[in-house]
Amino acid sequence: MAAGIARKALGSLWRRPSPRVCLLVLGIYVLIALLGYAQMLPDIDASVGGSEDPPSWHWATLLGTDILGRSVFYRVLAGAQTAMTIGFLTTALVIPFGTALGLAAGWFGGRVDAFITWLYTVVVSIPDILLITAISYAMGKGLTSMCLAIAATSWVGVMRLVRGEVLKHKDREYVLAARAMGVGPVRIMVSEILPNVLHVAIVMAALVLLSAVKFEVILTYLGLGIQEGTSWGLLIAGASQELTNGIWWPLAGTVAAMFALIYSLSVVGDALRDALDPRVG
Amino acid sequence: MQRRRRLILTAPLGALVAGAAVSPARAAEPKVLSIARTEQFDSLDPTRQFDIGSSTLVEMLYSKLLAYAYLERPYKLVPDLLLAMPELSADKLTYACTLRTGVRFRDDPCFKGGQGRELNTDDVLYMLRRYADARINNKSWFAMEGAVVGLDAYRDATRKAAPDADLEQIEIAGFRKVDAHRFTIKLTRDNPLFLFALAISPTAVVPAEAVRMYKDQFSVHPVGTGPFELNAVERKGTLRFTRYTRYHGVYPSVGAPGDAEKGLLKDAGKKLPLADVVEMPLIEEAQPAALKFLRGELDWRGLDRANFSKMIVAQGDGDFKLAAEYASKFSIYWAPSQNVSYTGINMKDPLLGKNKALRQALARLFDTRGRIKVLLNGRGHALKSIVPLGLPGNENETGAIGIEYDVPAAKRLVAAAGFPDGRGLPVLTVSYGGSDADTRNAFDFLKARAAAAGVQLKVEYMDNPTFIKSIEGSNFQIASYGWVADYADAENFYQLLYSKNTAPGPNFPAFANAAYDRAYEASRHMSNGPQRYAHFKTMNDIVRDEVPVILEINSLVFGITQRWVKNFKRNFLQPEYMFLDVDMAAKRKGLS
Amino acid sequence: MTAYILRRLLLAVPTVLGVALLTFLLFNAFGPDPVRTALGQHATPEAIANLRQQWGLDRSLPTQFVGFLGQIVSFDYGKSFVTGDDLGTQLRAGALVSLSVVAPPFLAGGAISIGLALFIARHREGLVDRGARVLFIAGMSVSALVYVLVMQYVLAFKLGWFPISGYESGTAALRYLALPWLVLLVVQLGPDIRLYRTLFLDEAAADYTRTARAKGASDGRVMWRHILPNAWIPIITTNVTTIPFLILGSFLMERFFSIPGIGSLTIDALSRGDLPILKAVTILSALALVVFNLISDLLYAWADPRVRLG
Repeated sequence: MAAGIARKALGSLWRRPSPRVCLLVLGIYVLIALLGYAQMLPDIDASVGGSEDPPSWHWATLLGTDILGRSVFYRVLAGAQTAMTIGFLTTALVIPFGTALGLAAGWFGGRVDAFITWLYTVVVSIPDILLITAISYAMGKGLTSMCLAIAATSWVGVMRLVRGEVLKHKDREYVLAARAMGVGPVRIMVSEILPNVLHVAIVMAALVLLSAVKFEVILTYLGLGIQEGTSWGLLIAGASQELTNGIWWPLAGTVAAMFALIYSLSVVGDALRDALDPRVG
Repeated sequence: MQRRRRLILTAPLGALVAGAAVSPARAAEPKVLSIARTEQFDSLDPTRQFDIGSSTLVEMLYSKLLAYAYLERPYKLVPDLLLAMPELSADKLTYACTLRTGVRFRDDPCFKGGQGRELNTDDVLYMLRRYADARINNKSWFAMEGAVVGLDAYRDATRKAAPDADLEQIEIAGFRKVDAHRFTIKLTRDNPLFLFALAISPTAVVPAEAVRMYKDQFSVHPVGTGPFELNAVERKGTLRFTRYTRYHGVYPSVGAPGDAEKGLLKDAGKKLPLADVVEMPLIEEAQPAALKFLRGELDWRGLDRANFSKMIVAQGDGDFKLAAEYASKFSIYWAPSQNVSYTGINMKDPLLGKNKALRQALARLFDTRGRIKVLLNGRGHALKSIVPLGLPGNENETGAIGIEYDVPAAKRLVAAAGFPDGRGLPVLTVSYGGSDADTRNAFDFLKARAAAAGVQLKVEYMDNPTFIKSIEGSNFQIASYGWVADYADAENFYQLLYSKNTAPGPNFPAFANAAYDRAYEASRHMSNGPQRYAHFKTMNDIVRDEVPVILEINSLVFGITQRWVKNFKRNFLQPEYMFLDVDMAAKRKGLS
Repeated sequence: MTAYILRRLLLAVPTVLGVALLTFLLFNAFGPDPVRTALGQHATPEAIANLRQQWGLDRSLPTQFVGFLGQIVSFDYGKSFVTGDDLGTQLRAGALVSLSVVAPPFLAGGAISIGLALFIARHREGLVDRGARVLFIAGMSVSALVYVLVMQYVLAFKLGWFPISGYESGTAALRYLALPWLVLLVVQLGPDIRLYRTLFLDEAAADYTRTARAKGASDGRVMWRHILPNAWIPIITTNVTTIPFLILGSFLMERFFSIPGIGSLTIDALSRGDLPILKAVTILSALALVVFNLISDLLYAWADPRVRLG
């Protein structure tokens, strides 16, 4: 069932030129991330030139060097890997959690729904930035805690959408029939309702990924960044100091890479929503 | 900028009405200094603060018994509210002090008739009481702890008292009032360092009337005797200081060798302050501040790395000059700072605490000179002893030998430590109390070099509060730290490794070495000289051998001033503002 | 009506309690130790003990929590740990400044966005619509941080059209706020227009619009007389609920342009572990959200007679 939806979605995306290009771009980023996990990306700590050289026509110095002579281009690639990791980790936390809570709230109603509603109202009442910083303090620094913190603020949207869908489907004939036949609630949720709310989750996934990547930049700027390695947020933070000296290439390179990823995610997310939403079209 | 526009509009009118009236108006034009502050202040109540952001402002508004000479180096104490330096009795235990006459607080409603009255001995006693009051002062008490007879007992009494209770009936045995302008202070033991305590900003003298009238608001309603006054206090906006016309200070007549040639003594003897207004906007970000300075909107700025490399050319042999395009517009200065950075090793760590060879190896993997060159553009000095260069007792005077970057030696030591080629050596963690670009670069620099000897490092960036907590709890292996001088004596740095100062004191490596302690205790109250330096040498040698800390950098501070600012000489212990003069005609013309 | 309001406010109590609990847990129980931060390099055991006692941090956690609840009810947020200033005054002053930073772009941006969205919705699927969509998605693909950096560098430094940073109270603030306003406007334009466009298109697909068109009304007339009045409700309710969070004054703007608002206050509090400010800001925004949600629902009910309250 999920496979069917995925195939239908991708198919409709592929047919139109603009989403097709964006899908390809996303594919490239996924590839970069995979290469990174397999340790096949070029070494970001190696010195490839002098301090703060301008760009030149070699792979390593495509975007020039930073203060320690390291390749900006390689670091941007590593930043892409970090971005994809953060995006995927956050999404992997948000979607299952939000969907599960949404299902529970929509299906069981009553006290369960009231509790979940209370929970999300409390979370939503605290400004995102404060919640994320507080969680980072409590859980220590690092990639995982940052993803957890971003996830803590993003699950509400997914939960509410799924809950809405569940409420819509709860009284449909096929569900009532299954219940009459004595099928247990969990099985009904998984086999009947879940596939129908999956499209919501898929569309939200793109958005969560996108916002996680953007959030990382701001959080790094506020000092809550990752520990090892590098990220786009770190690159931008460092590049901002050099701008006054007319050293613009690290900033331009990082912004371009971020732009390509987020733009593609936006287009693909929009297209997915159009393709999967039964109302539109 | 608004001033420029106004002059353009009114000048023709003025010329029409009375041509002669224009010139005197210009002659009486107030001299305005525009200097950005980069940190907020905690409090303008001298006793409640001890941070740089507050300290500078407090010293502009209030006066202390002693201050530091503006021009003379090495830094030297001079009398401020006192008429002369205190006289030490024959038994070296009592200081006889005489206050200047005619020093008056500024006019304020808290005084009778709104007129500021003369400062007298009672005010000094009041200051001492507040300074020792545990309900008020928790930041700087250490400077007089155990020093004055009866003061510690007073502090104990305040601790047990109710928050609002007035303890003025309790006598402080060590303070004796002779008359309205003379008093004596009795010390518990011979202590040449005591006078430094009378020069720190928390001992500035405040009027009791103001404290009683404004209570909590006193920290934003200053009533002092300092060179400037502040009428409106905004924490985050621009502070506008105006000249206090009754200020008692005059421009010094004595300087360091070379100062007269630079024209720094031409205003000798003139009544201070020379500027009429000091405007201090709060600009925390580097980029906006840099841009403003380059447009002529700020008169003075510290130079960070980015701007340094753009504007300054090293001439070699320690001399620096501005790049040609800036040479006509600005002037630069540089001086060794009062801070040192070092990396501490946790002596309680099961691995590193017991393995001296490993610690010694680590010390040889720090390419401090290389780091200064690449990451700091040469703006620093690789330390050989823990004392910064500006203070007496520094390595030039004690002949200390440092540890050089030496990878082969490090490798041998790692092997001797039991980990040939680094085999079997676990990954070591280095902690930092910040995660900005400079810190990250510093770690990356270190990591690459350590790897060359088979030592793998991983990093932990923390925000400052968490970092402090972790090093105090001994939850670290290797941590990067620094220390800023509280007063101008080497003891302030040697105490960093004294075993009685372990956490929550500053000896966070928890170094405990009996020989070091003996040398420290012997030297701490001595005057500077060969005898004292012999003890310093002992301590330096122990640190070099045991390596509880790896000495790193005494930074060189660079700054840049506009050409229209006169009399500037960077002083880390005494704010320069009251000595500065401004050529307003040049400033009005700006940088165009 | 009054019964409804009272009931809603009562229902808000568990929420506020929840926020208080979460805030307290995160900041007091797990947060950084403010005492060490305040004392810096001069922390002696005696100083630490004194300060802890002064700030009430030596009491047990449950006792501190009860004290915190008491503060919330009495609206007394105490004093800042770091400066000792009364928080109420600081927050009020900061709130006004932050408001002056975010309110004008919010209002102006809202008006511009609605107008442009109407125009685009009218010409949907045409060149304008598609071009706009690409433009806005592209605009949203760049971090707000980058907008600030580049615009400050180009417009303020290179071209000198605006002051680089700073703030003065009173009418002089206008020249300092102009650039932050511009940046905020630019950053919010894309998302807002896309949102409104969707809203208008949703209305355009509704039955009553088709009826109106079937009756021969022109596109423009349909827009003005049918769609817009119905779209007001969701527009206003969405915006009203955003207002409480505006007050946090866009951290970035206040930081980069040295504007002393609540956002700036909060960033400082974060790095210095100034707990009272952080807790106060969190609780206040939660309370504000409750109130504005209520207002939004009331507006909704007033505007749409079909909605029954309670």
